[in-house]
Amino acid sequence: MLVSGSWLRDLKVDKRAMLENRRVYLDHSATTPVDQRVVEAMLPYLTEKFGNPSSVHFFGQEARAAVDRARREVAALIGARANEIVFTSGGTEANNLAIKGICNALMDAPVSPARRHVITTAIEHPSVRGLCDELEKGGWAVTRLPVYEDGIVRLEDVRAALTPETVLISVMLANNEIGTIQPVKEIAVLVRERRDKGNRQLWLHTDAVQAAGRLPIDVDTLGCDLLSLSAHKLYAPKGSGALYVKRGLRLMPQNVGGHQEREKRAGTEGVPGIIAFGEAAKLARAELAQRVDHDRALRDRFESSLEARVGDLVFNGDRKRRLPHLSNISFRFIEGEGLLISLDLQSIAVSTGSACSSGTLEPSPVIQALGRNDELSRGSIRFSFGKDNTDEDVDYVLEVLPQIVGKLRQLSPLTPHRLAALPI
Amino acid sequence: MNYSPTFNDHLENPRSAGELQNANAVGEETNPVCGDRLRLSLRLDEGRIAEIAFLAYGCAPTLVCGSALTELLKGKTVEEAWQITRKDLIEAIGGLPSRKQHAAALAIETLRSALAQSGLLAETVITGS
Repeated sequence: MLVSGSWLRDLKVDKRAMLENRRVYLDHSATTPVDQRVVEAMLPYLTEKFGNPSSVHFFGQEARAAVDRARREVAALIGARANEIVFTSGGTEANNLAIKGICNALMDAPVSPARRHVITTAIEHPSVRGLCDELEKGGWAVTRLPVYEDGIVRLEDVRAALTPETVLISVMLANNEIGTIQPVKEIAVLVRERRDKGNRQLWLHTDAVQAAGRLPIDVDTLGCDLLSLSAHKLYAPKGSGALYVKRGLRLMPQNVGGHQEREKRAGTEGVPGIIAFGEAAKLARAELAQRVDHDRALRDRFESSLEARVGDLVFNGDRKRRLPHLSNISFRFIEGEGLLISLDLQSIAVSTGSACSSGTLEPSPVIQALGRNDELSRGSIRFSFGKDNTDEDVDYVLEVLPQIVGKLRQLSPLTPHRLAALPI
Repeated sequence: MNYSPTFNDHLENPRSAGELQNANAVGEETNPVCGDRLRLSLRLDEGRIAEIAFLAYGCAPTLVCGSALTELLKGKTVEEAWQITRKDLIEAIGGLPSRKQHAAALAIETLRSALAQSGLLAETVITGS
């Protein structure tokens, strides 16, 4: 039986009006649109307030005061003190500064070279993964903790991996692909126990790039020593981030040649981006509950309605202990990238963790870490909602997505009813 | 993703998708590295391709190459079909980035596997000798 025909033509006429000109952005874990209030806060620092914060004159002092205000706002978002915030160019640089900063400082210190062990997880962001790979090449021992089908690290595994040689644990607060929330607070308790037993050089870093603005964060309650943030996941522009460095922690700067950021990151501050970050952090803190409720309501309705309309879905990651705005689903029998591009043609933006290029497929390491097979690892799609999404956006996706999935499954030689019918 | 309008049209409106129940030549190939899979079923009549249908699993270029290949093949003799190259297919869909050209390679490989199975091609054509 042939199944050709226009996908759009197959839709009912009254639905077509809804489809015209609609663009639905469901990729807020990749980046967020810049909030208009953030743009307005930032604009003067692109025009008349252009001073260098290190300058002594009033142009400089005006910029310095604004950077300090932004620093207080970013600190307040995570319950830190302003002088514990180091502005960076983004989350990746914050992760680099945290991990290299700790490990390089240690290599510089008069301690045994044998004391080089780092614990991380199998589902970290590529920046942390890459840093740990690099450390390993440099002779460090690296333990990559597994996650289980729920996408969550086990405290027992952390305890078992800890040795007297461990100097750093880097575990993300929430995963970027499946949104699962990791037991960082519980790991911090373990770290404190070890310190109390005399292991003074043991630190805990957490990548909170996805979690910030989507979960309440308080660094004292969390108990971490280092925490990475990114502005553009919080409705601010790209190019700005921060590292929380607990007071008293010695960190080797990765950028040298200036006194900025309390000697921890040399280079003239990216003032407009920092001001935007500060404003975005202020708004994220003030609107956190409202945003969480909004995103979760859309996400939950999307998932339950989709389950009612489309079969053979596999949800990736624990569905309770995860970020409120994110849904990661494997669509059986079809491949993620084919689905992503088909959705793109209908003006729906989502993402997939796997990428097929040059005849080699890199299935998502995160989905694989859940123990999923190749087919499911290849068929995963991330839908991440944001504060500007509407019920109509969800209605549109619920209209279009099942049809595309249906068509791709009709095309798929993996679909069971086809396989059964084929004389292979 | 910047693919050609022809490419997008094939993706939105796949041609001749499905499985022929009365096929007399079938090819199914998998890219062992990335797992993309294409299946072609052909009904050959007096040495010509009378009907063709495809099934595909994989990234968008694999789906599109399957669809576009069915258009290129309609009415061709088996010898003409054997001559179709990866380059012909890539041109027919308005180009492919180099990292995605394996999709066209899989399509041609599947076609040749089906044609070889038909028994209508001289051994010399198949082996190229």
